[in-house]
Amino acid sequence: MLIIPAIDIINGECARLTRGDFATKKIYSKNPLAVARQFEKAGADMVHIVDLDGAKLGRPINKKLILKIRNQIKIPLQVGGGIRTVEDAESYLNAGVDRIVIGTQAARDLDFIKKLLSTFGRERIVIGVDIKNGVLAIDGWTKTAQKKYTVFAKELRALGVSEIVCTDIRRDGTLTEPNFTLLEQLQSYGFNVVASGGVSDTAAIEKLSKLKLFGAIIGKALYEKKISLAQAKRSAELSNLTKRIIPCLDVKNGRVVKGVNFKDLKDAGDPVELGKKYSEEGADELVFLDITASKEKRKTVADMVKRIAQNIFIPFTVGGGIRSVREMRILLGNGADKISINTAAVLNPSLIKEGSTAFGAQCIVVAIDAQKINGEYMVLIRGGSEVTKLDVVTWAKTVEKLGAGEILLTSMDRDGTKKGFDIEFLNIVNKAVNIPIIASGGAGSPQDMQAALIQGKADAVLAASIFHYGKYSIKGVKKYLQSKVPIRL
Amino acid sequence: MKIAIIDYGASNLQSVFNALKKIGQTYAVVRKPEELTRFEKVIVPGVGAAGSTMKNLIDSGFAAKIVNLKKPTLWICIGMQILSQFSEENETKCLSVIPGRVKKFSRVLKVPQIGWNKVSFKKTSPLLKNIPDNQFFYFVNSYYLDAPPKYVLATALYGIAFPALVQKGNFYGVQFHPEKSGDSGLQLLRNFCELC
Repeated sequence: MLIIPAIDIINGECARLTRGDFATKKIYSKNPLAVARQFEKAGADMVHIVDLDGAKLGRPINKKLILKIRNQIKIPLQVGGGIRTVEDAESYLNAGVDRIVIGTQAARDLDFIKKLLSTFGRERIVIGVDIKNGVLAIDGWTKTAQKKYTVFAKELRALGVSEIVCTDIRRDGTLTEPNFTLLEQLQSYGFNVVASGGVSDTAAIEKLSKLKLFGAIIGKALYEKKISLAQAKRSAELSNLTKRIIPCLDVKNGRVVKGVNFKDLKDAGDPVELGKKYSEEGADELVFLDITASKEKRKTVADMVKRIAQNIFIPFTVGGGIRSVREMRILLGNGADKISINTAAVLNPSLIKEGSTAFGAQCIVVAIDAQKINGEYMVLIRGGSEVTKLDVVTWAKTVEKLGAGEILLTSMDRDGTKKGFDIEFLNIVNKAVNIPIIASGGAGSPQDMQAALIQGKADAVLAASIFHYGKYSIKGVKKYLQSKVPIRL
Repeated sequence: MKIAIIDYGASNLQSVFNALKKIGQTYAVVRKPEELTRFEKVIVPGVGAAGSTMKNLIDSGFAAKIVNLKKPTLWICIGMQILSQFSEENETKCLSVIPGRVKKFSRVLKVPQIGWNKVSFKKTSPLLKNIPDNQFFYFVNSYYLDAPPKYVLATALYGIAFPALVQKGNFYGVQFHPEKSGDSGLQLLRNFCELC
């Protein structure tokens, strides 16, 4: 969860209000820029700036100062207060402000929001849902709009809004605790929710992170030194587990092959040598997918696994035509860490359970290939050539129940296209199960991987061609991702 | 022969062999408890569940013998967990070498934890020599050992700061898989073989 310290500006100074009441104003610093710099230095993930004069008067008042701050700090900036026209929005966004918060004008004019979303993209337009006694507050919280927040939330969702900041005004600046029920309710509509108001101690931050909120804005508690930014950051971190980048190697007759959709296969070298190279470049795991069709298949795979295990000291998965616990035992005995099964699992689901019982869930990866057919994701088998009657959610839940340790999820619509991962598909499966998901199918760039890991909430990404053809190195991809998601470098 | 690797019929030993070979250590697989006397050090590898692991160790006669060993022993993954008094996994009574209980991770995060997690040192130990603090190691676990801080050499964060390395006297426990954690993992195994 992002920790977002707040700077509220009144008349060029850094102020805090209680429950939005201007009469309670307390000035904490005459130099908001210095405050922003301190926040940056202390490790804030983003800074939230509100032009309080602007909010009250309905037009940006402290914009010059805010843009000065923008130019002097490097971390993302979110700005709100008095943004009521497309021109106001543009002047902030084009000057490098990362996200703008629209409150009052959103409650009044949904067409305005629609225009902003289509012009600037949904990730830069944040709607401020400010709630006072169940209804929306506007104009610097001096008035209320006659609209229930639940109605408003549904309208925003229908427009395609994804980002909201939710403030329970009764709690703002009170150093009490956030309104967890309200936040959870808004999150259930599908928004990335940033909590604001009453975030004042480590317990509250821990609880918010466990609700998997997108971020928490902290104001008065920081200024009153009830909590330090470093403490807040620590409480917001639930885990240091990194996202995994996994190259996949196709192997035929003991040699790595490259080709498009298994056609025009070219020899690309020895699996051990290539695996070693990827491991040295920083691959977190390796997947070897055997596509040999010959009778000697089993022996060549077993020999290959043995050689890989003797030379590479990171985990690796082997898949391709494994149909029995006996075959699994040979490969695991030769040093493979995990076995991936696909068609065999669909045809004989008890194989998952048998494998999981014999070797532990962590050894069993169920690969699921799916395609969107008539609006529903259906499971495919035999390398994507045969459509089954299974929908992906039912199948994912079944494999988790049978003891799969992970799901390797491939969108056949995207596979080989380099058009990016299917985020909707990832989200649907992610909601259905609580085991790790490896996203596959569509990787074309580091940005695609970022989307799969953040929006798609995948635990790992699998890619083949973008690494094999040298377009991106694993190290390069990981360097790109480092500032966005936890990565092992 | 220097290192004994206990084969109690439950785990995949090949990766540990490969890692020891890579760092130039001599080792042998031991299937009978009485053979342990011939070795300087003992590794208890582990992949699997607490219930079957304890059952196998008891049935093979190892359980009674290894808790009384005075030579350095390294317990990997499930091996580390069974050093506790009790595991919630299969409601299993364990070896009681280290006071503490094995608990399941909260479902706030995905279970099992699979992947590279950052290991933060809490104490100095020869086991950690030449390994920088906050390195990543490869973990695969659904449960963790909730041990008193005095035995905890290092922790990792997964919903909770849980012990990644523990030590009590000649008993060293490691929750991650050093044999699968790249160079840092090999260094840890080297430290155990040469310095502990």
